[in-house]
Amino acid sequence: MLRDITIGQYYASESVIHRLDPRVKVVATFVYIISLFCFDQLSGYIIAALFFGCMVKLSKVPFKFITRGIKPIIFMLIFTAALNLLWTSGEHILIKAGFITITVEGVKKMVFMALRLIFLIIGSSLMTLTTTPNQLTDAIESLFKPLNKVKVPVHEIAMMMSIALRFIPILVEETDKIMKAQMARGADFESGNIIQRVKNMVPIFIPLFVSAARRASDLALAMDARCYHGGEGRTKMKPLKYKKPDIIAYLVMFGYICIIITAGKFLPI
Amino acid sequence: MSIKLQDVNYIYGIGTGQEIHALKNINLEINNGEFIGLAGHTGSGKSTLVQLLNGLMRASSGVIYYNGQNIYDKLYNMHSLRSKVGLVFQYPEHQLFETTVINDVQFGPKNLGLPQLEMELRSFQALKMVGIGDELLDVSPFTLSGGQKRRVAIAGILAMQPEVLVLDEPVAGLDPAGRDEILGLLKKLHSENNITIILVSHSMDDIAKYVNRMLVMNKGEIVLDGNPAKVFQFEKELERIGLGIPQAVKVCHQLREAGAYITGEPITAEDCAEAIYQWLKV
Ligand SMILES: Nc1ncnc2c1ncn2[C@@H]1O[C@H](COP(=O)(O)OP(=O)(O)OP(=O)(O)O)[C@@H](O)[C@H]1O
Ligand SMILES: [Mg+2]
Repeated sequence: MLRDITIGQYYASESVIHRLDPRVKVVATFVYIISLFCFDQLSGYIIAALFFGCMVKLSKVPFKFITRGIKPIIFMLIFTAALNLLWTSGEHILIKAGFITITVEGVKKMVFMALRLIFLIIGSSLMTLTTTPNQLTDAIESLFKPLNKVKVPVHEIAMMMSIALRFIPILVEETDKIMKAQMARGADFESGNIIQRVKNMVPIFIPLFVSAARRASDLALAMDARCYHGGEGRTKMKPLKYKKPDIIAYLVMFGYICIIITAGKFLPI
Repeated sequence: MSIKLQDVNYIYGIGTGQEIHALKNINLEINNGEFIGLAGHTGSGKSTLVQLLNGLMRASSGVIYYNGQNIYDKLYNMHSLRSKVGLVFQYPEHQLFETTVINDVQFGPKNLGLPQLEMELRSFQALKMVGIGDELLDVSPFTLSGGQKRRVAIAGILAMQPEVLVLDEPVAGLDPAGRDEILGLLKKLHSENNITIILVSHSMDDIAKYVNRMLVMNKGEIVLDGNPAKVFQFEKELERIGLGIPQAVKVCHQLREAGAYITGEPITAEDCAEAIYQWLKV
C-alpha cells in the first residue's frame, strides 16, 4: 500500500557512477543544471542529451526509473510550455485566431523550454537514484563546511537532515502497519465524503504521533547516552576522500562544460 | 468451514529492482476448530502469510478460499471477511488511539455497524475475557502498562467475535505470568467458544503446550506440518533452520538415544517429566 511511495529513490546497483564520491555527484549535477542555461540552439541540446545518455548508460539504472521523475511535474511542464507558446511574439506567424497568435519562435521556445525542464529533472533524478540519502547529506555537510566560519551550524543541519531521512521510511512503514491494524478492525479509509475521510484518519494519526514521539525521545536518549554533543571535534567513520575516478569525473565535467559553452557561442544552430 | 490456500505466492516490491519472494507456492488447508501454531525463523514469511488470510494483502498469485468462496472474487465482501478472520498484529498496543479503554474496544464493533447495546455488550465481554477489570474501562489506554495495553488491543479484536482468530506473536515482550495468561485465554477461547486459532510464535515451548497442529516455515515455504509430537521428531531439520525443539523434549530424545525406555511422545515439560519418572520407576 504505502510502500509504493519511494522517498530518496535510491536504485541499488554496482556502477562507476554509484561508486563516485557523493560530492562529485552533487557538484556535477549542479554544473550540469547550469550548463543547460548556457546555450540556446539545437546542437546544445544534442550535446547535453548525449552526455546525459552516456551517464545513464554508465550508471546501469534502467531508463524507466530515470523518466519516472518527470511524472509529478507533467502539469507544470504543460503549463510552462503553453505559456511560452502563447506569449512569445515573433515575425513568422503560424496561426492567428482571435487573440491567439502562435509563432514559429513560440514553438521553438516552447520545445526548448520543455526540454530544458526535462533535462533538469532527470539530471537530478540520476543523482538521487545513484546516491543514498545518507551519502547525500554527507556530501552536503562537507561541501558547506566553509559556512561554519560564518556561524552556520552545518553539522547540526546535516544531522537533522539525516535523522529526518532515516525516519521517513520508518514512519511510512509504521503508518502502513497501523493502517492495516485498523483495517483489521474494520476501519474503512476509502469511502465517504471528504470530512468523513479526514475523520477516519484519526485512528491512524494518533497512534502514529504517539509512536513518532516515542521514537524521537528514544533516539534523543540513545544519543545522549553516547555523549553526542554536536559537531565540534567529531570525526567520521567513513570520511569522504577523493580517489582517482573522482578526479577523472571532475575533469570530464570540466570538459563537458567547456564544450557546451563553446558550442553555445560558435555553432550556428 | 475452512481456509484454503492454493499455490499462493507473495512478492514484496515488484518493479522496484529489489524483489523479495516472501511466500513460495503455499498450499495449506486450515480446518474449523483447529488450534494452529505457526513457527519459523525471523524473516521466514509468517507475518506475510497471516496478513493474506484476512485479505489485508493480496497474494501476488494463487487463490485463497474462505468457506469455499474465493476471496479474490470481484463480488466477495472483503469487509465481512475482516470481521470473520480477526487479526491481532505484532505489538497490537501500538494501534490504540481512543480516549478511553472501552471506546477503543468498541472501535471494531462500531465499524461492523452493530447497534449500540450489542456493541457495548460485546466490548464488556471481550474486556472481561482478557481480564481487564471494570475500574479500567474509563481510563485512557495510554496510561496502562504494556501488558494491559496488549490485552485491551486483543479485546478490540475479540469484540468483533471473529470465527478465526489469528495472532502474530501475541506474547512477545511479556513476562512469563502475562504470557501464560494470554496463552491460557487463547486455550479457553478455543475449547469453550470453538474459535479457530492461529498462533504465530518463535517459542517452541509455547506452541508445544497449547496447539494441536504445527506449521513450520522456512524461507517462504511450509516445511513441516503436523501435530507437535510429530514435528518434534524432525529435531535436526528444525535446528538447521534455526528453531530447535523444547528443552524437555530434547532431554527425552537424548535419553532415548542413550537407550532409555521412554514411552509415548511427551511434548510439554510436565509430560516429559512424567515419562522420565515412569522410566526411572521401572
Ligand atoms: N513491507 C515489506 N516490504 C518489503 N519486504 C518485506 C516487507 N515485509 C516483510 N518483508 C520481507 O519479507 C520476508 C518475510 O517477512 P515476514 O515479516 O513475513 O517474516 P516473519 O516470519 O514474520 O519474521 P519475524 O519473525 O521477524 O516477524 C522478509 O525477508 C522480509 O524482509
Ligand atoms: Mg513477523
